[in-house]
Amino acid sequence: MSKSSEDCHVVEGKLALPYQYFAGRTGSRFLISLRDEKKIMGIRCETCDTVFVPPRQTCERCFSDISDNWVALGNKGTVTGYTIIRYEEPHQPVKPPYILAQIKLDGADTPITHIIKGMPLSKIKTGARVKAIFAKKPTSSIRDIEYFRPSDDRPAFELGYTYDELEVGMSASFTKTISESDVYLFAGISGDFNPMHLNEEFAKLTPFGTRIAHGALPQSLIAPVLGMKLPGLGTVIPEITVRFRKPTYFGDTITATGEIIEMIEKRRWVRMELRWTNQKEELVAEGSCLAIPPMPMGK
Amino acid sequence: MKKNRNVGIIGVGQSVYSSHREEVNQPEMIHEAIVEALDQAGITMDEVDCIVHGNMELFEMVHQPDLWHTIGSGAYGKECMRVTTGGTTGATLCCAADYLVASGLHDIVVAVGFEKLQEGHTTGGITNMADPLWARQLQTGALTGMTAEAMINEFGEDRAKRASMKYRIMMDKHAMKNEKAHRRLGLELDQTDDLMVNSPALVGELRMIHMCSQSDGACAMVFASPEKARALCERPAWFKDHITVHREESFYVFGDAPVLMTHKYAAQKLFARNSITDPKEQIDVFEMYDPSSWWGLDWLREFLLLENDEHLKMVENDEIAIDGKFPVNPSGGVIASNPIGATAMVRVGEAALQIMGKAGDRQVPGDVKTALASGFGGTLWTVLTLLTKDEPESGK
Repeated sequence: MSKSSEDCHVVEGKLALPYQYFAGRTGSRFLISLRDEKKIMGIRCETCDTVFVPPRQTCERCFSDISDNWVALGNKGTVTGYTIIRYEEPHQPVKPPYILAQIKLDGADTPITHIIKGMPLSKIKTGARVKAIFAKKPTSSIRDIEYFRPSDDRPAFELGYTYDELEVGMSASFTKTISESDVYLFAGISGDFNPMHLNEEFAKLTPFGTRIAHGALPQSLIAPVLGMKLPGLGTVIPEITVRFRKPTYFGDTITATGEIIEMIEKRRWVRMELRWTNQKEELVAEGSCLAIPPMPMGK
Repeated sequence: MKKNRNVGIIGVGQSVYSSHREEVNQPEMIHEAIVEALDQAGITMDEVDCIVHGNMELFEMVHQPDLWHTIGSGAYGKECMRVTTGGTTGATLCCAADYLVASGLHDIVVAVGFEKLQEGHTTGGITNMADPLWARQLQTGALTGMTAEAMINEFGEDRAKRASMKYRIMMDKHAMKNEKAHRRLGLELDQTDDLMVNSPALVGELRMIHMCSQSDGACAMVFASPEKARALCERPAWFKDHITVHREESFYVFGDAPVLMTHKYAAQKLFARNSITDPKEQIDVFEMYDPSSWWGLDWLREFLLLENDEHLKMVENDEIAIDGKFPVNPSGGVIASNPIGATAMVRVGEAALQIMGKAGDRQVPGDVKTALASGFGGTLWTVLTLLTKDEPESGK
């Protein structure tokens, strides 16, 4: 039999069916507590000694009506299972990759499913402690918990990534437009009043034809990356090398990027590749540094 | 029909039917019906062996609702199966429960049908079932004016319209006696002329007032082995027989000749094998799946194997009233309440309640020994169920 599909017509169609879902009595109370009080509520079955989250009207096990046995739960919990979503579809709640996890809240016996952010994908593990981050704008849905992030079982001071949390390939960047006033302030800060930077008539006679920023000015934009993002707060930089490739003109927008290229296990330092680019994607400077990531507090 | 053992209906539970049940989610709504059915049967969920669950496929855009309705249905740790046969789902659930008990697999089975039409898009869902090549871009969901047209041609415009509207108003008077019914409009016969002209026209002479509602609701029923039924229930409603008949997927799409209606075919077969020669005499009450008052009126002739205008006369002479000679839909029927996945089960459930003597204000006068219930679905699909007060010989 011929399998040719020549002259075989296909009827293209699309059925978009709108729907609603009523949350029900227990579901509604859960959502309202979440929205108005930022409180996560469960329901206890006394017979089965089980606290259900999400809450439900009846205990599925003994079929008794438990809809009045509300208990307030903490907003911290433990990951009991997880997966990493890497493919992309329009229906997804956030852009992949992201962690989808089963989280058993403190005081509950059943886990709920939610998103975990603020944790390197490779570091998620069963048993991880996480806390709920509530949405700034209420949505009256389960996304009133916007996501979970690693729980601050750390002390009060916020820290960047520790050595164990870092891995090769992690990167971060910072972008800023360099204005004339930045250059004049930098001249004051450094004491470098080189007419290359401050005297337009002089600068017209140079190969650049106009004033340019001090090289150290764009270079300094790597500081917020290293000290505040990656590895982040508490980082020490014992060595940094830079090779300048292009001048920075007034009004240029410079992006400084750092990427971890080597884990120096012996010293628990990392080596990072550094790059500075302008708004035309031109390489302004490149280099590398050593970074000492923040130590966990108390050590 | 050869049967391993008899099956008795010992409990019927229904949620309130309404166009809007925002206060409950699906499991909570189902739970209302389940609890009432168990209460009436005088049992707890512990004594139930199996749950049969059903609704229209994807009407609420929910996949495998039987699984996550467990919280409301009580199916945790029990046998559970899902049945979905379109509009007949509720009646097919009863058939499935009958088979499960009659076979000896289970002693007590609970069946539950539900729909929450407010949450979905009924006409979209129904359009989806039409043949994608020949009919889907043309059809008008569940609405059709063909029967009105045919009846007007056969009986004249005035008589046909009046009979159809009288049927409608009588059904509303029945619904007024059923506190769970969705539409209880308080219609009176002197509104006939007004409604015939002023009710919004939908398709041809099918008007808004003729058409069934879109309801939220659930119905649950308890089916028991003969030993359990006798022990638990003073007066169970016994399955005497049921028959399922269906044919092509779209009306007349593959030919323009009038087809033999599945209703009539089912009735002929069912009556023949149960020695029913005069259905109007031998059957005490009929719960019919009547999606519109045109269909309800027309189908009386099909189901009761009537001729000429006998069915119109039944309506014109008030025979189908609760206290009439042949009561039809004491519950108010589908025109009053239509939670689709439950609708056909409500027919069987209401027929059972009449036999059990538990139909409350809508109980028909006299001893109900035999009751008939019909289910209807897309597009020509009939389930016809015969229940009796006396335990059938065939299954003993």
